[in-house]
Amino acid sequence: MDVALSRNGRRLMRVFFALAVVFLYAPIAVLLLFSFNNSELPSFPLSGFTLQWYHEFLTNSDIQNALVTSAKVAALSSVGAVALGILASIALVRRAFRGKSPISALLLSPLVIPYVVFGISLLLLYHTLGISLGILTIVVGHVVITLPYTILVLMPRLQQVDVALEEAAYDLFANRLQTFRFVTFPLILPAVVSAFLIAFTTSFDEYAVASFVNGSTTTFPIYLISAFRSPHNLPQVIAVAVVVITISLLVVVAAEVWRRRAEARLEAA
Amino acid sequence: MAVEVAAVPKPRRRRLRHALVTPGLLGLPIGWLICFFLVPVGIVAAYSLGPSLAASPHPVTLKTWHDFLHSTTYLRLFWSSLQLSLIVSVLVVAVAYPLAYYLALSGTKRKYVLLLLLIAPFLTSYLLRVLAWKIILGNQGPIDSFLSSVGLHPLSLIYTRFAVILVLGYIWLPFVALPIFVSLESLDRGLLEAASDLYASRLQAFGRVTLPLSLPGVFAAFLFVFIPTLGEFVTPSLVGGTSSSSGYMYGNAIQDLFVHGFPDWETGSVLAIFLLGVVAVLMVVFSRFLQPRQVAAD
Repeated sequence: MDVALSRNGRRLMRVFFALAVVFLYAPIAVLLLFSFNNSELPSFPLSGFTLQWYHEFLTNSDIQNALVTSAKVAALSSVGAVALGILASIALVRRAFRGKSPISALLLSPLVIPYVVFGISLLLLYHTLGISLGILTIVVGHVVITLPYTILVLMPRLQQVDVALEEAAYDLFANRLQTFRFVTFPLILPAVVSAFLIAFTTSFDEYAVASFVNGSTTTFPIYLISAFRSPHNLPQVIAVAVVVITISLLVVVAAEVWRRRAEARLEAA
Repeated sequence: MAVEVAAVPKPRRRRLRHALVTPGLLGLPIGWLICFFLVPVGIVAAYSLGPSLAASPHPVTLKTWHDFLHSTTYLRLFWSSLQLSLIVSVLVVAVAYPLAYYLALSGTKRKYVLLLLLIAPFLTSYLLRVLAWKIILGNQGPIDSFLSSVGLHPLSLIYTRFAVILVLGYIWLPFVALPIFVSLESLDRGLLEAASDLYASRLQAFGRVTLPLSLPGVFAAFLFVFIPTLGEFVTPSLVGGTSSSSGYMYGNAIQDLFVHGFPDWETGSVLAIFLLGVVAVLMVVFSRFLQPRQVAAD
């Protein structure tokens, strides 16, 4: 006898699980359907197949500029967050020091601050210091909110790395930087890549904080929200949404497959 | 050679600990958070105590706080946002629990593939998923146009409290399944077999063994939804209306006080600090539930 589930219970749960998956993917499927629909309005009945909306967004310079701006913001902030995250994780995992728990609480606290509160806080900081708003003011905020995610991804991996390997490197007269470069970093690389991807995608998609400190800079999320105010943009926005969601789903699956392989290989070695 | 290396470790290891400088490692990340996280929040706190305290030496005043605590408008709005967050979190945890239970305990072979299938939407764009619902629920959108094309009355779901709850639930569902799955997955199945050997029914085994042991995951999941939802303003501004009965939330009020119409930064700062205080209290109260060992020992 299975102690966790009866046979009927399992059937019921399988149906429930299938329904949940349908619920989760249905909105994405609806977007896909209407991205090919030959009508300005996303409504039934469907009025024929078209690639017009994809063609329009590919030639829409506003969308492209917004995508490029977001890519810049995400690249800068994810590199920054991963670099700070590596430093902080090494300290938290490898070092014993006083006040470790308040310091790790501080490092993780951006996880729980409401983004609207953080957004206005940054706005008031820039206002007080008289800093003009732009790409960098968004990057600063995104580094803060993605830093805890990088630490949460890097720490467990760093804990698995055997300290003896680092000590062996010191014994062979490697200095701190060399030890990190040739021993620690290659061993935590899968986690570094995961951390980078999480930080990049979070920043690329972030609207709440960016909306307070963007000035006249238009990131992709900010473009999307403003495009929604004018209905004739809607079909193009749907098409671009389909492309972005598809790419991010592919990246997620590829990253997961790659991470599993890399970790399996490291564990086998 | 080997003998030499073996003789070295102890003193050498001690020296290494001193060689790696903790402040050097922590200086940048901590400095960054102080400059761009703690100081900004401090400035908001200063604003809440009087206009432009940071710019000119201005007497500290509690007037804005007094007005806030005596105006029922904002406190009522906060209360209704709290209720909305509670509804969303409880609903999402209740739906996610059986999903995680199925993955962790049904013995299905493709458990990690199914888990990825469940979580993947969360890793795609938050904003695009909200916008997808804005289109779907819209007045001439797929649902309503479908209903009218088959002769039924359109539902006009957009700009309602229901729409906000539905979309927030949709956003959080995949994410919430994860901590519950982890706590169920780490459950020792031997305990369930022991319960069964002692003639416990499946329901009894669930109530006495599985559920209590998975509570840390449930609490973590609940907090993961409840805290961000409490300060939410993006989803309500897209699919909610303009009053608390139609899904307008406390976070929208903060945003409006800073960005739209007639900015009132002092009142906005009071609202923000109040929200931050509530979140801090929640974290302190609930953090003890998040330590698995403590709950398991009870």
